[in-house]
Amino acid sequence: MRNIMEAEFKKIFFLRFSKVYLLFTIGISLLIGFIFTVTTNVTQGVAITDLSVMEVVSANMLGVDLASILLIIFTALTISREFTAETIYTSLAAVPNRKRLFLGKYITFLLLSIVVSILMVALIYLTSQIILMANNMSLASLAEADIRQFVFGVLLMPVFYCLLSVAATILFKSSGGGITFPIVILAIPALLNMFPDTIQKVLLPLLPQSAIHSLSGTVGAESFETSGVFISISILLLWLVITSVIAILSFQKRDF
Amino acid sequence: MIEMKNLTKTFKDKISVHQLSLVIHPGAVTGFLGPNGAGKSTTMKMILGLMKPSEGSVTIDGHPYKDLERPISKIGALINGNAINPKLTAKQHLEIIAAASGISEKQIESMLMETGLQNVKHKPIGTFSLGMKQRLGIATALLGDPETVILDEPFNGLDIDGIHWLRELTKKLAQDGKAVLVSSHLMSEMQMIADRMIILAQGKLIADMTIDELAQNSLGSFVKVRSEDNNQLQFLLTEKGAEVKRVKNKELHVYQLDMEQIGLTAKEGRLALYELTKVQPSLEELFVELTEGKVDYISTDNLVTEGGETP
Repeated sequence: MRNIMEAEFKKIFFLRFSKVYLLFTIGISLLIGFIFTVTTNVTQGVAITDLSVMEVVSANMLGVDLASILLIIFTALTISREFTAETIYTSLAAVPNRKRLFLGKYITFLLLSIVVSILMVALIYLTSQIILMANNMSLASLAEADIRQFVFGVLLMPVFYCLLSVAATILFKSSGGGITFPIVILAIPALLNMFPDTIQKVLLPLLPQSAIHSLSGTVGAESFETSGVFISISILLLWLVITSVIAILSFQKRDF
Repeated sequence: MIEMKNLTKTFKDKISVHQLSLVIHPGAVTGFLGPNGAGKSTTMKMILGLMKPSEGSVTIDGHPYKDLERPISKIGALINGNAINPKLTAKQHLEIIAAASGISEKQIESMLMETGLQNVKHKPIGTFSLGMKQRLGIATALLGDPETVILDEPFNGLDIDGIHWLRELTKKLAQDGKAVLVSSHLMSEMQMIADRMIILAQGKLIADMTIDELAQNSLGSFVKVRSEDNNQLQFLLTEKGAEVKRVKNKELHVYQLDMEQIGLTAKEGRLALYELTKVQPSLEELFVELTEGKVDYISTDNLVTEGGETP
């Protein structure tokens, strides 16, 4: 497995595109988060100094949402290139056990997304502190439970959607599928808001975005999204396991 | 040793490979011939586990490819010379395969040297000619020092020097005891390098023998004879069961009788022979003879109606 992961990392980082894209992802997400935070008087009609520390950090962390979408695109493009360029022939010749090859890719992108996510959240957290300081507000502290929970929950988002994209790209054998599937899953809660409460009550708790919101503590107690820590983690794992199993089965059956 | 038993691959509306049973032997170059759509690439992909057989099996030393402990040391393959990421350099491409297979840096350098890519190893593959890509594909195939080498159309895009190099390389690999399976449309090249020929047409095995055996079994193989009395000799040879054709009244083309028997027959008839020449068909002629009427695609120039006219 170590050999497969080493090869997968080389596939990613030998390409100039990957390095530039990941740096761009971090840079643009920081910028967007910063813009959201310093323009609250325009977007929310509230001056930044009237916001709580948590609200400032929360506005800044919207950059992570963008980072998640950019990471989905990066993952889909990187993996689908093997199918379009047909380099999957050489990959499968070296690692004919398709389940192992899938898991090698999965773990590689898991580690990559964890690193990107931690780096991103740390930088955004740091930016939030600078913004708070510049506005003579008290600093955010990880010693406070709600901020700690929020930061941890936000960390999960890029990792989860990156892994969903790995499975979807292999399942659909295309970047289109690898991008569309996780973004649709990401967007479903917004669509469900248009449906009656009875439907929202049943479907919303099953969606990964609700689980992430619950884990980050950004949902109210009466919200349909709310679920406990154990259930939220189970829902996220279930999504990952089910999509991975379907992708592995499809990958194993496919002719190249 | 690669062994195929009743190997069959069926797509929705077409049988691509039908009940193919073969053994690819070590220490020989095996030519894999067939018209377009004959099932050559499909067979090669099934050997490598890239396609699943609909029926039958293909094993390498008794195991399917996917179950091999270190597959790259068993089979090295060039399936598509263009299937390389053009943004990578030649060395990076080999480093990825080497990393996945636990192969040393030294072996990468050795393969770059062997395939003549040492001087361009840091250049992006996108700037390579097709011939250079083929060389890189061959370097990839040989990276694990495999027991069997499978090369699908390796001569494509190679220049004269490249063709000469590949000819020597395949012979050397076979001399080193490796099994070498080469598919190509270049009959002249196959005739020069292959010890044995496997011919497929419409997914079925048409021939599996040496070129000499192919020629002996060919309807195109005959003995050209000139004698002091061709009429008399034709009569005597026909009596011995030969099929004889007269060409321009000067020579006879004798089928189904070997040179010795023709010589003895002439001696018995007290006829002096002026010429006795064995005429072997080229591989191309043999190929056409064996695959006649068994092609899926044909150019309109070769389509002839019953009345002898092109449609």
